[in-house]
Amino acid sequence: MRRLGYLLREALTNIRLNRTTTLVAVATTAFTLACFGVFLLLYLNLRGMVGSLQDDIKVIVYLQDNLTAQGVTALQHQIKAEPEVLSLTYLSKAQALADFHAQFPDESHLLEGLGENPLPASFVVTLVPKFRSSDAVQRWSDRLRSVPGVAQVQYSREWIENLAVVIGYLELAAVAVGTVLSAASVTIIANTIRLTVYARRDEIEIMRLIGATGAFIKTPYLLEGSVLGALGAGLALLLLKGGFELFIDQLGPTGRFLGIETGFRFFPAHISFLMVLAGLVLGFLGSFVSLFGFGKVRS
Amino acid sequence: MIQLFHVSKYYDRRPALSDMTLQIEKGEFVLLMGPSGAGKTTLLKLLFCAERPDEGQILVQGRNVARIKTSQVPALRRTMGFVFQDFKLLPKKSVFDNVALPLLVQGVSSFDTRRKVAEALKAVGIDHKKESRPTMLSAGEQQRVCIARAIVNGPLMLLADEPTGNMDPELAGEIMELFKTINARGTTVVIATHNRQVVEQVNRRVVTLVQGKLASDEGAGR
Ligand SMILES: Nc1ncnc2c1ncn2[C@@H]1O[C@H](COP(=O)(O)OP(=O)(O)OP(=O)(O)O)[C@@H](O)[C@H]1O
Ligand SMILES: [Mg+2]
Repeated sequence: MRRLGYLLREALTNIRLNRTTTLVAVATTAFTLACFGVFLLLYLNLRGMVGSLQDDIKVIVYLQDNLTAQGVTALQHQIKAEPEVLSLTYLSKAQALADFHAQFPDESHLLEGLGENPLPASFVVTLVPKFRSSDAVQRWSDRLRSVPGVAQVQYSREWIENLAVVIGYLELAAVAVGTVLSAASVTIIANTIRLTVYARRDEIEIMRLIGATGAFIKTPYLLEGSVLGALGAGLALLLLKGGFELFIDQLGPTGRFLGIETGFRFFPAHISFLMVLAGLVLGFLGSFVSLFGFGKVRS
Repeated sequence: MIQLFHVSKYYDRRPALSDMTLQIEKGEFVLLMGPSGAGKTTLLKLLFCAERPDEGQILVQGRNVARIKTSQVPALRRTMGFVFQDFKLLPKKSVFDNVALPLLVQGVSSFDTRRKVAEALKAVGIDHKKESRPTMLSAGEQQRVCIARAIVNGPLMLLADEPTGNMDPELAGEIMELFKTINARGTTVVIATHNRQVVEQVNRRVVTLVQGKLASDEGAGR
């Protein structure tokens, strides 16, 4: 217990004695983690958006015009029984026409000259969530096209596929950027700890000579690195939060003007917590590298 | 307590110690003599596991320190006290904290620490300076702090390298009396020195090294 107190006090003393290096280390760590945070924010928000778009995805199954009422009912039962289908509603030719008039009042005249209602009847199908990925939707639609009575199958494919591709790239970029910046943070903290160790090398030698174990000597430095990393991550979160609020402020009026409700959200609490934890782990790794890796402290 | 069998230690292919065979019994008081560069410090370092021998075997308290694992060195050092030629005190810590360091490292409770440090400081006669920083003390006083730190956890053996290095004869005499007292309580004491006066005053076993070789082994107790 007393030893733990001593080790903590030593770590804090180290931080206090090297105020400038500590500040620089925390600031640079914060900056690198903030860069990563921007990516993560973008990624999480876009993924959220895709998620809600996928929730909205509807597959429209157009029916052949010559289908009888019994045929429609039979087909409705058949489609409803598919495991992919969550729910479906029937849209008759008449309803389709009414919808068209309601949605495009200016273009109503386009259909008038044709005499007969050209719009086909359709089923609007909502899929079970796990079949909403673009692959699954495509597979199901392709299968449905060959069902007798079905004229055409449509869904808003491009939108989702494009976004999914963007997300895929973002994911790759986040991993790449995250790896590079994590390595940078580890290096920064490792160098800071190395400086501390160097400044206190006489003391470390004395500790060794009076019978301190390697673990006892190294613990304050591991603590110091962890604290620096966690502080850096905390600062990064503050920076991100500030930047995020500014961004939303800028976007707010314009977004409303365009009729878009900005769905941008900051990190939820558990992600923020994970960020700080990641900073702590990076800091710990930094000290670990400086103590046990190249140019390590002998024991 | 200490046994060396044909021990050699080389620095850059030049022997600092060569073919040393020596035995020191428990409770003995031994002075290591010899001109500068004879290998006295090297011998003490080997006993303290600060260096490893290149040839031969060394038994300390029945353990072969020539082969000891690095992870076992701290435990061995905790049974020894070492008085360094250059003191090796922490300049930013008080005398009390310096002397308490070996106890802290071993996880001794703060109650026992206070008692043991007080005893050690009293034994070397500087308990009135326990709040001072080592830098504010004279060389003789720093030497005593160093001795207090070496004896604070009741070591089985005490190794001292030139403990009277740059002291006037009177102070050197006092320090030697201190070592004799510690020895009288059962601690094995090995002191490296090239001070003839000290040798005569102490009147104990004297081991003389010349150019890394055992030149003579004589005196009281032989
Ligand atoms: N770390 C080292 N690297 C290279 N040579 C060393 C080292 N330590 C000691 N030596 C050499 O080993 C020989 C013995 O040195 P040692 O320090 O044991 O002598 P000593 O008897 O303690 O001398 P002194 O009375 O001056 O302290 C010397 O020639 C010295 O130059
Ligand atoms: Mg010497």
